[in-house]
Amino acid sequence: MASLLSSNPTLASNPSYSFSQAPQNAAAGNREHAFYPYTDNGGSTLGITGNDFAILAGDTRSTSGYSINTRYSPKVFRIGGDDETGEGAHIILSVVGYAADGTALKERLNAIVKMYKYQHGKRMSVKACAQRLATILYGKRFFPYYVTAILGGLDEDGKGALYSYDPVGSYEREQCRAAGAAASLIMPFLDNQVNFKNQYSPGSGVGHDLEARQVTPLPFHEVEQLVRDAFTSATERHIEVGDGLQMLVITKDGIEEKYFPLKRD
Amino acid sequence: MFIARSEYDRGINTFSPEGRLFQVEYSLEAIKLGSTAIGIATSHGVLLGVEKRVTSTLLETSSVEKIVEIDSHIGCAMSGLQADARSMIEHARVESQNHSFHYNERLGVESCTQAICDLALRFGEGADGEESVMSRPFGVALLIAGIDEEGPQLYHAEPSGTFYRYDAKAIGSGSEGAQAELQNEFHKSLSLEEAETLVLKTLKQVMEEKVDSRRVQLASVTKDKGFRIYSDEEMAVVVERLPTN
Amino acid sequence: MPGFDFSNYNRNAALHAQGVPLPKATSTGTTIVGCMFDGGVVIAADTRATSGPIVADKNCEKLHYIAPQIWCAGAGTAADTEFTTAIISSNLELHALSTGRKPRVVTCMTMLKQHLFRYQGHIGAYLVVAGVDPTGVGLYTVHAHGSTDKLPYVTMGSGSLAAMAIFETQWKQKMTREEAIKLASDAIQAGIFNDLGSGSNVDVCVITEEKASLMRNYIRPNQREVKQKDYKFKRGTTAVLNEKVITREEISKYVTVHELSSDDDVVVVEKMDIDA
Repeated sequence: MASLLSSNPTLASNPSYSFSQAPQNAAAGNREHAFYPYTDNGGSTLGITGNDFAILAGDTRSTSGYSINTRYSPKVFRIGGDDETGEGAHIILSVVGYAADGTALKERLNAIVKMYKYQHGKRMSVKACAQRLATILYGKRFFPYYVTAILGGLDEDGKGALYSYDPVGSYEREQCRAAGAAASLIMPFLDNQVNFKNQYSPGSGVGHDLEARQVTPLPFHEVEQLVRDAFTSATERHIEVGDGLQMLVITKDGIEEKYFPLKRD
Repeated sequence: MFIARSEYDRGINTFSPEGRLFQVEYSLEAIKLGSTAIGIATSHGVLLGVEKRVTSTLLETSSVEKIVEIDSHIGCAMSGLQADARSMIEHARVESQNHSFHYNERLGVESCTQAICDLALRFGEGADGEESVMSRPFGVALLIAGIDEEGPQLYHAEPSGTFYRYDAKAIGSGSEGAQAELQNEFHKSLSLEEAETLVLKTLKQVMEEKVDSRRVQLASVTKDKGFRIYSDEEMAVVVERLPTN
Repeated sequence: MPGFDFSNYNRNAALHAQGVPLPKATSTGTTIVGCMFDGGVVIAADTRATSGPIVADKNCEKLHYIAPQIWCAGAGTAADTEFTTAIISSNLELHALSTGRKPRVVTCMTMLKQHLFRYQGHIGAYLVVAGVDPTGVGLYTVHAHGSTDKLPYVTMGSGSLAAMAIFETQWKQKMTREEAIKLASDAIQAGIFNDLGSGSNVDVCVITEEKASLMRNYIRPNQREVKQKDYKFKRGTTAVLNEKVITREEISKYVTVHELSSDDDVVVVEKMDIDA
């Protein structure tokens, strides 16, 4: 153990990389010691909408480096509920990235949605909440909330609504979105299975005339299956994903929470 | 009426022993000196009407602005110190723009009225001793007309910071007579056209000068067209419709 | 001159200075342990290989053969542990042949440390060497820079702290073979579940005077559950943009074509290892 502790600091902090001893020409001269207030707590989130519902899901593992902080730390929250249990909420939010910022953002949005009800005497629509979240994020343009957020609910017509964000407030309404550590693993799967990308109708033509498979909103039970398969698969191949899968499903009847255990290795 | 108030009508934040804020009450008097303004809310839209006091033949009547737009779906008519109204309207406009910036939706009419009334008591020093924004209460009352998901609405906002919703309301020097007239004539199934006539008829009764398209101003807020001030031509048509007697 | 080729070193240094990122090596993020018992030694390892945060291999082998009764568990850069153990295995075999004796664990350890020291830590191999030789039972750790330790129980890799926690609370002197296997595999499981760099299964190798036995996937605590949905696509889902038929006559210009009789002797070229 002696060599590992006393020798090369770059290698000691990074024992698994053989290339960490590379020449560091830039390090010569003055070195800046800056405070870096962010950490990455890993994990992944995912949202899919259907005709009359929206699902937000996230794994419940929180990590730092190669360690697990906790095996149950929710990333999906109810927004605008009447009490701390979130009862009576009509909007759901998922946050992934830096957990402290995620919590701060969720608390702030929750307070704003509650204040809105007092000030305007009506529930905030998902569309309004989506715009408000964007202005909150952009308000910290030069000291951002280090999170990828997804907002879900039902729109004015009762259809499932999903809005996805970058950390500084650029947003878009979508059918589905994966975010966080395993986003690059899950998103292509969603493109193919929700929006039927790279799928054609068999026998509808030859070569370039082949017609793309018709996109139709999926029924709830099928979406739930996709979400569970996406997370068990991400757990297999991403070290920061696992422990538990938490799901919030919003329909006209309210919000239902589901939990499924995931592998813990 | 104005006897024995020597001590308590000075400080604007001082209650009298009877529990009154005289400066606020005086500000209500200022409104009674103002030109008459009338608002009527129908199921099709809200109508605002004001008298313009043309004090000189040399006055350019189009420069008398007593009905203004707050946002595309909210407008307001004023009576009292016009200059005070400017800062209230400026505040309302900013509030409305802020709301659509933050929420991507139009500000509710009641919320807009509340925002204006929040300004009303910003005289005197604040609870934490911060510098005051204003030295006295506003000397103006507003009729705020607008339309939102709740339908067409009319609000009356006073310098005291209270507001009420009305089906029909008159403010200003002729308000007592006008309100009595509205009380008699208003009914729920009024059409917009009937409301135009009712506003002008009522104004005519309380105005010292004769009613013509230069001396009155109308505006409406409807679902289709939002807030709109009547053009001279449109005014002429409505005035023409008035029964002559 | 034999050995590594450093001819690209200067080029790579120049590229790195210009901001070209370094290639990412596969690392065996890893928990490895070793533990002596009365009459032998046991070593164990997890089976996860990672590339950054991605699991590169869910069931890799980190227990390497060196000699019939010397085995080695490796952590660090996968390629380095594999090649280093293979080279030392070869040299130790030659050494055994020329001396006519069974190779000793201490010899193996010495060869490893001298090899690694020469490369000043650039070879990222962190090893646990264990075995039984005529002098008795041996258990060592060897670090990439060449330092070594000789201890009754050892752990290495990113999961070494989790594993050592088990040893420090449960280890006792003169354990039986079964007790040692249980303790070592418990230590590996502590790494599997508490260290993100480690995962999947437990491999164990027990070495006694008589023999060495490798117990591949001794414990499999992380079997994947069946998927909710079946992802079989309808035939014709993928677009065919162009088609070209190469006749047997054309292809036989380049390769030899054998005629196969219809069904009986279908040649299985290579069986693909399909992911479970």
